[in-house]
Amino acid sequence: MKHNHAILALSALMLIVTPSPGSIVQANGEQVEETQNAAPTEAQKKLINTFDNHIKDYLRQRNQVKEKLPKLSKDSTAEQIHSYQVAFVEALRAMRAGTNPGYIFQPEIAAYIRALIKDEFKGSERVELRQSVLEADTKGVPLRVNYPYPESKELNQTPPTLLLRLPQLPKEVKYRFVGTNMLLVDTDNGLIVDYMTKALP
Amino acid sequence: MKRISAFALALLLLNGLLLLNRFNSQVAAQSTKSGTAKAVRVAAKPLKITLPRKEGSVRFLAIGDTGTGSDKQQELADVMVRSHSEFPFDAVLMMGDNMYGGEGPKDFLTKFENIYRPLIDQKVKFYASLGNHDEPAQRFYQHFNMDGKEYYRFTRGNVAFYALNSNYMDKKQVDWLNSELGKDTSQWKIAFMHHPPYSSGSKHGSDKKLREVVEPIFLKHGVNVVLTGHDHFYERVKPQKGIYYFVSGAGGKLRPGDVKDNSPLTDKAFDKDMSFMLIEIADDQMYFQVLSRTGETIDEGVISNPRKK
Repeated sequence: MKHNHAILALSALMLIVTPSPGSIVQANGEQVEETQNAAPTEAQKKLINTFDNHIKDYLRQRNQVKEKLPKLSKDSTAEQIHSYQVAFVEALRAMRAGTNPGYIFQPEIAAYIRALIKDEFKGSERVELRQSVLEADTKGVPLRVNYPYPESKELNQTPPTLLLRLPQLPKEVKYRFVGTNMLLVDTDNGLIVDYMTKALP
Repeated sequence: MKRISAFALALLLLNGLLLLNRFNSQVAAQSTKSGTAKAVRVAAKPLKITLPRKEGSVRFLAIGDTGTGSDKQQELADVMVRSHSEFPFDAVLMMGDNMYGGEGPKDFLTKFENIYRPLIDQKVKFYASLGNHDEPAQRFYQHFNMDGKEYYRFTRGNVAFYALNSNYMDKKQVDWLNSELGKDTSQWKIAFMHHPPYSSGSKHGSDKKLREVVEPIFLKHGVNVVLTGHDHFYERVKPQKGIYYFVSGAGGKLRPGDVKDNSPLTDKAFDKDMSFMLIEIADDQMYFQVLSRTGETIDEGVISNPRKK
């Protein structure tokens, strides 16, 4: 009985996380799957909404810290930028002490994102993505929440077509591939806000 | 006869002394700033600038992947300074990877400020875009003139420049680009960014996913020229759907032999030494000249803009 419930739950989850395919009819009449612009289902929208709310929670914490810092002008010196980043990270780490991985990338949204990436990159494109991500100089980036992304390490390009499909983020946070993982990194201070594993198909 | 010979000899001696004096003063001027080794380079022969230098023209330099702080980056910068004295430009477009490795205060000095000091002192403005080695916080750096933004637009005369963040081309940026280009009536629209939608590089090559997103926007709104980096060489790509794409990614690093042989994309490529582009826009003509670290011209030409103001 327990086994049946588990199968049902898993099936429901698979239905939620699999990107909903649209379909188009080609000139030759053949119907092909088209997921590029497929709108999320209602269940997926709920997942994205929860994800958005967790991002907003982070932004609230971040903004509380930011308000207490001196404003960084658009004509800052290198020293001013550096001091700002250090102060920002330290204060934010203190405030978020004890935050566990997966607070934002909860299992359902992580599975949805994994499926999106898998769907976006197929065949040779997937090989190229893996090659480009895995060859990048990101060795030594800590897979730890609340740690700063080392400034000496490469920031992998997040593929534009994927960015258009992933849940949209505010400008303060960015998706970054590191190895086979996907990180959420703060734009201004480099803090690793959260991460999910096995993101790279 | 003897008097004439003595006079000629005196003239020769005087000329020699004058030349020696000129050389010494150049050496002395440079030595106070950067040491004797660089003084030798100052005495190099003048550059052959072929650009027309028309009155009122828009002049700028394009360079990418600079931020190593290496001797070779410095040597190329010296050629940039020499070219500035013969072809005064007031802007340098940076194609990203402005800082390799660390980005502490000292890095900004050794990988940027010290290298380009003569140009900064002459009020040349550097406009940076972000590469995969650049922290977004660079947008606040005073000498990168990014106005605190990861992507931005500025104009010079009849030219609109769009600095894009190809490392993170999200929906917000795509919408911004569409909107800004949609209302832009400039005669020339030039985009610059790190990753190349078209390139014959073996290591990286064309960024097809980026192309899929930005090319339709460029075509829709009449972007004329796209300047990029990432691949560490120079390439002038054959016009693609009417748009001229350049790769100028050898400002601090070089990947020798990286251009694919017989690439159908290449009009002209150079991967044997580091390089930068000098560009002049006068009315509907864009003139360009590409110089190497030794001051050799490796490419030059002119692009016409069929669109009127």
